[in-house]
Amino acid sequence: MSNGANAIGRRGLLGGAAAGAAILAAPRIAGAQAKVIRVGMPTVLSGRVAILGTSSRTAVQYAFSRMNEAGGFGGRTLQLVERDSKGRPDEAAKVTRDLINNDGCEIIIDGEASSGGFAVHEVVRDLPVLCVHTNSETSSLTADPKLHVKTAFRCARQGIHDAVAGGVYASTISKQRGLKRWMTCSPDYAYGRDNTAEFLEFARLYDPAIEVVDQVWPRLFAPDYTENITKALQVRPQAMYSALWGGDLVSFMEQSNLYRLFPNVALFSSSLGDPPVLTAIKQLPPGLHTAYRYNRTYPDKPDNTAFADGFAGLAKHEPTNWAWQNYVACQFIGEALKRTNGRTEGAALAAELKGMQISSGLAVDEKLTMRESDHTLIGYPTAWGRTVPKAPFVEDFAPIAWSQILEMETQWKKQKGYA
Amino acid sequence: MNLDVLAGCVTTASCFVTQVSTGLIVGMLLFLVASGLSLIFGVLGVVNFAHGVFYMLGAYFAFAAYEVTGSFILALLAGAAGAGLLGIVFERFFMSRVYGRDLLMQLLVCYAAILICDDLVKIVFGADYKLMGMPESFAAAPVEVMGGFIPGYYIFMLAMALGIGAVLWLGINRTRLGKIIRALAINPQMVGALGINTRLLYAAVFGMGCVLAGTAGALAAPVRTLTPGMGLSVLIESFIVTVIGGMGSIPGALVAAVLIGLTRAFGAIGFPLFTDGLMFALMGLVLILRPSGLLGTRTA
Amino acid sequence: MRTGLARDLGIGLLCLVALLALPVLFPHPSLRDFLIYVIAYGLLAMSLNLLVGLTGLVSFGHAAYFASGAYVFGLLMQGGAVSIPVAMLAAVGGTALLALVIGAICVRLKEIYFSFITLAFQMFIHSIILTWVELTGGDQGLRGGIPRPPFLGIDLGEAGTLYGFCAVVFVLCLLVMRQVWQSPFGYTLRMIRDNPARANFLGVDVVRMKLGVFVLAGIMASVAGIIMALFVSGAFPEFGFWTTSGEAIFMIMLGGTQVFLGPVIGAFLLQLLNHYVTIWTHHHGLVLGIVILAIVLGLRRGVADYAAAWLAERRAASRPAAVPGPAETPAPAETKAVG
Repeated sequence: MSNGANAIGRRGLLGGAAAGAAILAAPRIAGAQAKVIRVGMPTVLSGRVAILGTSSRTAVQYAFSRMNEAGGFGGRTLQLVERDSKGRPDEAAKVTRDLINNDGCEIIIDGEASSGGFAVHEVVRDLPVLCVHTNSETSSLTADPKLHVKTAFRCARQGIHDAVAGGVYASTISKQRGLKRWMTCSPDYAYGRDNTAEFLEFARLYDPAIEVVDQVWPRLFAPDYTENITKALQVRPQAMYSALWGGDLVSFMEQSNLYRLFPNVALFSSSLGDPPVLTAIKQLPPGLHTAYRYNRTYPDKPDNTAFADGFAGLAKHEPTNWAWQNYVACQFIGEALKRTNGRTEGAALAAELKGMQISSGLAVDEKLTMRESDHTLIGYPTAWGRTVPKAPFVEDFAPIAWSQILEMETQWKKQKGYA
Repeated sequence: MNLDVLAGCVTTASCFVTQVSTGLIVGMLLFLVASGLSLIFGVLGVVNFAHGVFYMLGAYFAFAAYEVTGSFILALLAGAAGAGLLGIVFERFFMSRVYGRDLLMQLLVCYAAILICDDLVKIVFGADYKLMGMPESFAAAPVEVMGGFIPGYYIFMLAMALGIGAVLWLGINRTRLGKIIRALAINPQMVGALGINTRLLYAAVFGMGCVLAGTAGALAAPVRTLTPGMGLSVLIESFIVTVIGGMGSIPGALVAAVLIGLTRAFGAIGFPLFTDGLMFALMGLVLILRPSGLLGTRTA
Repeated sequence: MRTGLARDLGIGLLCLVALLALPVLFPHPSLRDFLIYVIAYGLLAMSLNLLVGLTGLVSFGHAAYFASGAYVFGLLMQGGAVSIPVAMLAAVGGTALLALVIGAICVRLKEIYFSFITLAFQMFIHSIILTWVELTGGDQGLRGGIPRPPFLGIDLGEAGTLYGFCAVVFVLCLLVMRQVWQSPFGYTLRMIRDNPARANFLGVDVVRMKLGVFVLAGIMASVAGIIMALFVSGAFPEFGFWTTSGEAIFMIMLGGTQVFLGPVIGAFLLQLLNHYVTIWTHHHGLVLGIVILAIVLGLRRGVADYAAAWLAERRAASRPAAVPGPAETPAPAETKAVG
C-alpha cells in the first residue's frame, strides 16, 4: 500500500467534506418569515408500495392547491416538499431532519408506513414541529402513552378501530348464516398477525360460536398463494378472514378465482375495499365482505364526490385509502393554520389541533374529530360492505356505531396498560 | 407441526392430487426462471443478479401486448421476445464488458440494471397494481382429477413449462448448436479457434436465459400482480433453487424447483409456520455439505 | 512497533480535528446529520473492505452485524440497566460471538459460494428479527426511542455531543483498522487473497486467518450499527436486509478497494449523491443506476483507486526513481483485484 495514495485519500476526504459542508450549510430559505409555508413529506415513492407515496402526494397537492386558491393563511400559501425514503426507516429519519433543518419545512406530513412512521415520530420528539402521521395504522403509535409526542398527531384509520368494526360486522353475519368454521390467511409480519388476532378476538366476543379451524401466514410480498388456497380447499372453512392488502391481495384474489374458492367460502377482507385493488382484479366475485378503505359513494356527500373527482383528475385513478387520509390531514392542518393566522410553531398548531372538529366529506356523521387525549382521528368511516362486479365495486355499506368502537377501544387500552 | 393431517392428506387421493399439482404449479414457474439463471451461469460463468428484471419485463411486455391486441398467444410471445431482446442488449453493451472482472463489478452492473428498469417501468406503466387477464376458456371452473381440483389455466401453464423444459433439454443435448454451447462452457478458446463467433454465441445464450425468465413472467402475469420491483422475490427464490440444484445444472434446477414447490405445498399442510425458514435452511445445508449443489458438477 | 504508527496517529488526530471543526465552522444541523450518516455507513463500508479488498472474501451478508450491533445496543439501553459504554461493549462482544459462529461455517467456502452462504445467514437473521416480535418489535423495529442517559459527564442527548462522540469512535476504529491493514496479519491476508495455495504451502492457517478477519470486520460493522442506532434513536429490520449490504458493497466499489480510506470516500460520495438526487428527482433509481454504470464501465474501478493510480503514474513519469522507504513501495499484488 502506498502511503502517497493514503495521503490523497485523506486529503480527498477532507477536501470533499469541506466542499460538501459549504454546499450543505447554505440554508435555502429565510425560515418563519417566508411567505410560503413549506410542508415536508417523507414517504415511499419507489419499490413495490410506491402507490402509497404517489397517491398520498397527489392528495396533498390537490388539497394544497385548493387551499391556496382560496387565499392561503394570513397571506401565506402552502407548498409541499416530498422526499422518497425508499421505504427505509433510517432514511426516513434523515430525510425528515433534512426537511426541517435544511429545507425550512415548518410542518411535517408523515406519509411513511409502519416502521418509517415510528422513525419519523422519534425525529419529531427531537425537533418539535407539527407532525401529522397519515399512513401508519399501528394503534400503539398514538395509543401507547410511552410513545406520546406533544406535536405529533395521527390522521389515519387504525388497527384497533378496524378490529372492533370488523368484529361487530362479522359476528352479525356469522350469527345470521351460522358461519362457525373460520380460517384466516394474513401476511406474516407484525401488522398482519396483530390485525388478525384482534379481529378474531372481537368477532368471538360477539359470537362465541366462531371456531378458528386453521390459520395460514404467507410471506409479505409473496408472489404466489396457491398452497394457501389449496389448503383452504382441504380445510373447507365456512368463512375466511384475510388481512392481505395491496398487490398481495390482488394476486391472492385472482389465484383464488381460478379455484372458485369464494363462492363457497365467505370472505371477510380488511383491505379489499381499496379502489386500486378492486379495479386491478379482473373478475371480482360478488358478495364478498370488505372493510371500507375508500369509496366515492360513501360517505354519500357532495364533498366526498368532489374529492374523488378532483383526485382522479390528477392521479388518473380512483383515490386510495392513503389518499383520503392525507386529504383529511390537510383539512385539519388548514383549519389549524386558519386559527393561528399562518403561525406555524409546533406548540401553537398542536394546541389548535387538540380536540379539533372539522366538517368533511369523509366524516361518517357531521364532523371528524382529532381526539384530544391521544392525538388521533375518530369519526371516520369504518363501515363494511359487499362487493359487486362493476363500479363502484362495493355496496350496502353498513356503518358500525362509533360509540361501540370507542367503548371497546377503552377496554382494550386498559387491557394493554395504555390507560 | 401437524403430522397427522399431513399423513391424512398424503393418503387421500383428492388432497394428494391437489397438493402435488400445487407443488408443480409453484415449482414449474420457478424452474423456468431458475433454469435461465443456471444456463447463463453454466455457459458464461457469470451470475445474472438482474434476472428478476427480465421476469418483470416479460410480465409487463405481455400485459401491454394483451391490452393492445387482446391475443393471449401474442402476449406470451411479446413477453418472451421482449425480455430476450433486452437481455441481448444488456449482455452486449454492459455485461460483456465485465466478464473476467471481479464478481463485484458484475454485481454492480446488475444492480444498476435493476434500479434503472424498476424506475423505467414505474414511469411507463405507473405504480398501481396491474393484472393481465386471461381468455374466458382458461378462467373456466377447475378440472376435477380423482377428487382433486386443478384450474384450467394452471394445466396450460404446466404444459408450457414442461414443453419449454423439454425443448431446452433436447436443444442442449441433441443438437449441433447445443453441442457447441456445451463446448463453450468448457473451453471457449477452443470453440473460438474453430472459427465460431463466441461473442455472438454468448449473447445468444444470455438472451435465451432471459427468454426463459420473460416467459415465466408472461405466464405469471394473469395471476400475479404486476408492480415495479416484482422481480425481487422471484430472484431470491430462483437463487435458492439454483444453489440447491447446482449452479449451472438445468436438470438440477428442475429437481430443486419441484422439491421446493412440493415442500411448500405439503409444508402448508404439515408445518405451516416453518416453510419459509425451511427454504433458507435447506440452502444453507446444501452449501455446507455439498457446495456444488445436488446435481452440480463445478466444485467449490 | 511499526514506523508508520506515529504518522498514522498524527493523521488520525488531524482527521478528528477536521471532523470536529467542520460543524463549528459551518454551524448547521443538516451538516452534522450528514456527517454522522457518512461516519456510520463509512465505517460499515470500511469494515466490509477488510473482507473484500484486503482478503478477497466477497460477503453479501455483512449488514447482519450492523443490525446485530444496533439491536443488542438498543435493547440493552431500553432495558435501562446499563450505561452507554457497557451496552456498546456488550453489543460489540455479542456481535463478535455471532460473527465467530457464522464465520466458522462460511470461511470454509470459496468465491460465489462464500457470498451465497453469507447472504443465507443474513436472510436468516433478518427473518428472526421479523418474526421475534416480542423482543424486536418485528417489522416496526425498536419503538419508543433509545434512551441516552449521561455517562462520565457526557450527555449524548445533546446533538453536538453525540456528533463529537461518534467522530471520536469513528477515528478510533479507523486507527485500529489501519493497524491491521499495515500489520503482518494484513499482509498475510493479502497473500491469501492473491494466492491461497501459496499461503497454505508457507504454513499459514488460511481458515483461521480468514475467520480472524471475519470476526474483526463483524466487530467494526457492529460499531457502525451502534452509531446508527444512536442517531436514529431506534433499530429497524432494514438494517439487516440485503439492501444494506448491497449499499455497503456499492460504497466500497465507488470509493475504491485498495486505498485504505477509499470506502469512506465512497460512503461520502454516495451520501452526497443520494442527498441531492433525492431532492431533485423522484427517479433516483434511474440516476443512481446510470452513475453506477458510468463508474463501473467508465472508470473501471473506485474513485480513490483511480486517483491513486493516476497520481502514481504521474509521479513515475516525472521522478522515475523517487520511491522513498520500503513502507511506501506499492506491492505489485495490490492492483490485482482491481484490474
